[in-house]
Amino acid sequence: MRSWKWQMAAVALVLVWAQTALAGPTFDRVMKTKVIRAGIMTDSIPGAYYNEKKEWVGMDVDIAEEIARRMGCKLERVAVSNKTRIAFVQQGRIDMSVANMTHKRERDRSIDFSITYFFDGQKILAPKGKFKEHKDFVGQKIATMQGTTSEINVKNLLKELGDPKYETNVISFQKESECFQALRMGRVAGWSTDSTILLGYAAQVPGEFELVGDFFSNEPYGIGLPEDDSKWRDEVNFAIQDMWADGTYKKIYDKWYGPDTPYYFPLTEKIEMWP
Amino acid sequence: MLRRWFENTAFQYAGLLVLIGLAVYYWGWVFDFGYDFDWTVLYEVNKTYGINLGHNLIAGLKLTIWISLISSGIALALGTFFGLGRISHFKPFYWFSTCYVEFFRNTPLLIQLFFWYFALPMGLPADLREMLFEQNFELWSATIGLSIYTASFMAEVIRAGLQSIPKGLLEAAYSSGLSYFQALRTVILPLAFRAIIPPLGSEFLNNMKNSSLAMVVGVAELCWQSQQIESLTFRGFEATTAATILYLGLSLTISAILNMINLRLQLVPPRQRGLAYRISDVFFYPFEKIWAALAHPVHLLLAGQRHRSLHYTPFQALVHRLMKGLRISAGWLFRGAFVAVLLYGLVEAAIGLAGLKWSVVWTNLSTLLIWRFPSSDKPNEILWGLGGLSFSLLMALIAISVSFGIGLVVGLGRMANNRMLCIPCTLYIEIIRGNPLIMVIFWVYFFLPIFIKTYLDVFWSATIALTLFTGAYLAEIVRGGIQNIPPGQSEAAMSTGLNYFQTMRYIILPQALKQMIPAIVGQFIAIFKDTSLAFVIGVLELTFVAQGLNNRLMVHPFEIYTTVAFLYFVCCYSMSLYARRLESRLSPEKVRLQM
Repeated sequence: MRSWKWQMAAVALVLVWAQTALAGPTFDRVMKTKVIRAGIMTDSIPGAYYNEKKEWVGMDVDIAEEIARRMGCKLERVAVSNKTRIAFVQQGRIDMSVANMTHKRERDRSIDFSITYFFDGQKILAPKGKFKEHKDFVGQKIATMQGTTSEINVKNLLKELGDPKYETNVISFQKESECFQALRMGRVAGWSTDSTILLGYAAQVPGEFELVGDFFSNEPYGIGLPEDDSKWRDEVNFAIQDMWADGTYKKIYDKWYGPDTPYYFPLTEKIEMWP
Repeated sequence: MLRRWFENTAFQYAGLLVLIGLAVYYWGWVFDFGYDFDWTVLYEVNKTYGINLGHNLIAGLKLTIWISLISSGIALALGTFFGLGRISHFKPFYWFSTCYVEFFRNTPLLIQLFFWYFALPMGLPADLREMLFEQNFELWSATIGLSIYTASFMAEVIRAGLQSIPKGLLEAAYSSGLSYFQALRTVILPLAFRAIIPPLGSEFLNNMKNSSLAMVVGVAELCWQSQQIESLTFRGFEATTAATILYLGLSLTISAILNMINLRLQLVPPRQRGLAYRISDVFFYPFEKIWAALAHPVHLLLAGQRHRSLHYTPFQALVHRLMKGLRISAGWLFRGAFVAVLLYGLVEAAIGLAGLKWSVVWTNLSTLLIWRFPSSDKPNEILWGLGGLSFSLLMALIAISVSFGIGLVVGLGRMANNRMLCIPCTLYIEIIRGNPLIMVIFWVYFFLPIFIKTYLDVFWSATIALTLFTGAYLAEIVRGGIQNIPPGQSEAAMSTGLNYFQTMRYIILPQALKQMIPAIVGQFIAIFKDTSLAFVIGVLELTFVAQGLNNRLMVHPFEIYTTVAFLYFVCCYSMSLYARRLESRLSPEKVRLQM
């Protein structure tokens, strides 16, 4: 019967251990290990993608690297997608998600966000000369990505413009590249998402596609952070503001969206600065 | 003393209850998930969006059922057609059917769906494409793509069933004056039916589970809807649980119907019919009535005139000869047209393929095969920075070797008399087999970390999911293999004084494993194809690399998808050739039935 006692003790030990094995606050852990785990996309040009040399590059990659450098930490890049980026922050698998993520209130209920580090808006990409304004898309099919704010926005837009079949006219794919292919083969009349992404793709086949109409939503990008960890959030916010103040931000921005790039997107807004 | 306890059924049930109680207590109260469950998302109206997301799930379920039904219908028709082609005397038809079956069986469904949806319309003339796009192209390309895939498996099932019939029966049918269709309908098919139905049923089940892949072309079926709820509310755990239960319910319903059909096919004497048989009686009552009402008129319609005088007037003889000549020439005309269409298709495809820019593929071939990160990106390296095809192979290899162990243990456990082993093993097998692989991947990737509190790399998550998934299938293969061994063998072994493990080790398993080898190689092919699904969570395997490449090059989808399909095909086909050689070496010779 002695073995029974041992087993009971072992079970009790496991139960106690499970209770103590809770993750500590992010800031303390990062400062201790000196490693920041950042979630970054892999198929968003020029946000974050694999280039010809199979290097993982892009605006988001540079921003994440810069934040890590300023905190004196090493960056561990974790590949995320539009499906996984929020779940990963919630589960603590990553410390921040730099993954062209719009700061939305519904999202803010689950995770926290840094200040806005990039300003974008949603537009519709369509074949050149076919459409003039948003109204022309009523009754047409539009591609979006599943699990993004643009999916909801474009449905609302079509609903407002009086499209009775707005639910079925919006086709949601899993990847940006799939949306672009659907557009190229004419399955959809337009593809709607954040304008910088659209510019990135349109630049691959110059002269074939154009952006139609105005922005119909603001997409302020924030860095996704774990909920209720204000010390860590402060640290990230300060790093972003410092980057802006000493011009590093502008340098990174121009590298990816400057006038010399195929994705030219003028920087018109200023990030929030705290004196 | 302990042993006697364990052999007591009541004790076994009590033990199981205690285990369940402990698990519920531990995960219900002690364990900290770091996550607040909110099941209301599934049935209450969401405040932000003003919709009841539960309705979305139901809509997804309806669509899944619709796709499954339509595609199994088409697949059955196509499968019968190509199954007959596989045993046809007419060589072009045989070759065509063989190419069809081998090609579609040996490439992943995911790649096929991408091809049908993204690449095929680009190869069509503009007005035809417009016409296609006026339909619900997403739904139809997914449904028909799924049918074409399932049909290639059904064709093999039907071929095997037909060939299980002794050749003499066919010869007897022909020599008693029956025509091709008469022989098929009155002699061959009724007999083949019994051999075909059980494996055909599991193809229907697979077809339903595979319909979850329609989400990649934007079809809002069940899996897509659960992902939608996740992305709208971040309640992934709840949404995935709901979808899993719905899938499980669908699978169990299909298996219940299949089991009833299997029961009907067995010849059970009236005295020994149990409850299950009575239930199936009730279930099949309407079908049998319909059949009874229809069978006679249909039979009369098909049979034509029975009593034909052998004494023709000269005019009758002329008409008869003319009709016969017409029939024969129509037959040849049909064959000629078939060959012409086939040749035309081949030439068109060859011209189309030759016109593509293959240099793109050539320069990126090494990327597709081994990928390799540059040395500066060290942190991203798993397994020497491999990726692409070699990564897929590696995943499949790890999964099959580990899952073989799981399959062996669980398969034996399911056959054990002890309820404490039997029930958990059965649950594991049925739950895993009742769900699409993509759901298993989501579970392992998103929710396993919550339970074990460490985060796995995507590669390991996908490999674990594949291993768990294959384990359940291998367990069934093991069970089937062992049940094939005559029970007298284990009785003899036991009576010579060997214990359970010795019996298994020295008598049963060596024989059973030999029989299982072809099935295991088949499972390995399946798992290798299934590695393509790991792309959803971003594992750098062949499909993901191809998509990344496609994403960067943008303008050559046709070339890339064709190459990827070819790469998968070469690997799978060489393995299935190997499996076939093994099978023919391990099983006695058969006379091939040809019609």
